[in-house]
Amino acid sequence: MKIAVCVKQVPDSETRINLAAPAAKLDQAGFTRVLNPYDAFAVEEAVRIKEARGGEITAITVGPETVRETLKKDCLAVGCDKAIIINDPALAGADEAGIADVLCAALKKDSYDLVLFGIKAIDDDSGQVGILVAEKLGLPHVSTITKLDLGEGTLTAHREIEGGKEIVDCPLPAVLTCQKGLNEPRLPSLPNIMKAGMKPMQVVTCADLGVTPPAALVEIRQYSPPPARGTCRLVTGDDAAAAARELARVLNEEAKVI
Amino acid sequence: MPNIAVFIEQRDGAFKKVAWQMISRARQLVDANGGEVWGMLLGGDAAAAATQAGAHGAHKLFTAEGSFTTYDSERYGTAVAAFCRAQKPDLVLVGATSLGRDLGPTAAAKLGCACISDAVGLEFAGGAWDVRRPVFAGKCFVDVVPKTAPAIVAIRPNAFVAQECGGAAAAAAAFDAGQAGLAPKAVVREVVGSAGGRVELTEADIVVSGGRGIKGPENYAMIEELAGALNAAAGASRAVVDAGWVDYSHQVGQTGKTVGPNLYIACGISGAIQHLAGMSSSKCIVAINKDAAAPIFKVADFGIVGDLFEVVPELTKAVRAIRG
Repeated sequence: MKIAVCVKQVPDSETRINLAAPAAKLDQAGFTRVLNPYDAFAVEEAVRIKEARGGEITAITVGPETVRETLKKDCLAVGCDKAIIINDPALAGADEAGIADVLCAALKKDSYDLVLFGIKAIDDDSGQVGILVAEKLGLPHVSTITKLDLGEGTLTAHREIEGGKEIVDCPLPAVLTCQKGLNEPRLPSLPNIMKAGMKPMQVVTCADLGVTPPAALVEIRQYSPPPARGTCRLVTGDDAAAAARELARVLNEEAKVI
Repeated sequence: MPNIAVFIEQRDGAFKKVAWQMISRARQLVDANGGEVWGMLLGGDAAAAATQAGAHGAHKLFTAEGSFTTYDSERYGTAVAAFCRAQKPDLVLVGATSLGRDLGPTAAAKLGCACISDAVGLEFAGGAWDVRRPVFAGKCFVDVVPKTAPAIVAIRPNAFVAQECGGAAAAAAAFDAGQAGLAPKAVVREVVGSAGGRVELTEADIVVSGGRGIKGPENYAMIEELAGALNAAAGASRAVVDAGWVDYSHQVGQTGKTVGPNLYIACGISGAIQHLAGMSSSKCIVAINKDAAAPIFKVADFGIVGDLFEVVPELTKAVRAIRG
């Protein structure tokens, strides 16, 4: 079983965005960067499949040199066998479609039974690249999976939907996007982090992959801070019941939300 | 003449209300800029959709026959792409639901067009669409301009208000959804659970969430009771989900669901930035927490500093008294 896991390094979820006024660019220089939390579910699932059936896992990412540490610690040290970094200055402003094109070029260099993604990256919250890659490669996909069972040349996955799930049958090769609930990602051990330094990590450019960096289909006009919120009005009463009654009245009569 | 097509999502015969919200916003845009609003329906009750779509401002309703009972990315994606090739809308709006988030990029890849996820604002100015969407789960917003026609934009539920404009039923026309010869590989074998009965987090008008302050899984019932009294969805902070007290499908925050209801009631939630990111676009926020210094009060409109074990059951009673 050959598995590719496409991952992204993102600012940690505790990151504060300090943006006082609209700006053409977002200064991300000081952010602490980690593996996208949803990608950790994809990595973990790949490793579990390898442990159960054998195989090889390739982690693939698009990003600058600074992604090395994340790939080593959160991919190679927990069970991925090798990593490919697509690093090309021409990809600096790439949109979802562009990233998908480049990933497709890298995926076509080998032949994978499964291609795993996280459902979305927690920085741009777009959730498109996995699905775009599947379509561009002509592979079936199941998005937002919370359970995976592999058969012989087939898979059955649970896809989260509002208030329930769909149970989907699909042949391999296939593309899956992984949602929280699929598994509990393991943490890397110190000895494994040391050993991960020995695993192959290849850096390639668009030219190496034989792909022209595509023109963006969308243009970013500006970033802006979220609208400011007013101050909090504290509701009080003689006791909890009185305060609760007053809150209900305010929500009903003044805010008109209940 | 920017014609806007709106995908009308239906499941088990029920329409997603985000469709009417999108049609209402689209109608405002075409009234100001010219063009028409077109509903697009796959399967389902065409007559009912035409009535509702027309009432919210759609000029036409395009319908297609086919195997559309359960969602299938190949069938639905092909249908939307076929529709776009034949009718050439400028913009296609889909709801940012579990279906729409899959359908948008699937159809966009087939068309080679732009796709913009999870939008909360849509304007037309200077001959271009301006799509506003939150990034970093709402810690900031970005304005994006699609450079293709059509462009597909997924609109977050509750971002726009559904408004009836008294329009007659939309004139219905059938379109060829390009289904002949399709042999989808990924096939839904079974749908478990249903949208009926339980209010879903991302679409709810009101969300009541519990945090670490509820102290144990047994106390989540208190949150659910208040949610029940308000016909609200029940949410939770990451701490509560990671502790295993409730299922991850309830999690609100940057690694959970992002919600923007009319009313968000946070009970025993301190307001870590991870959580605030997922709910700070709510129209009205209420915090109930015994720690007056909790960051949740910085984003709240109304608050009670008190013990949630005393306040929440009383609030449930008070709500029942009001709602009858």
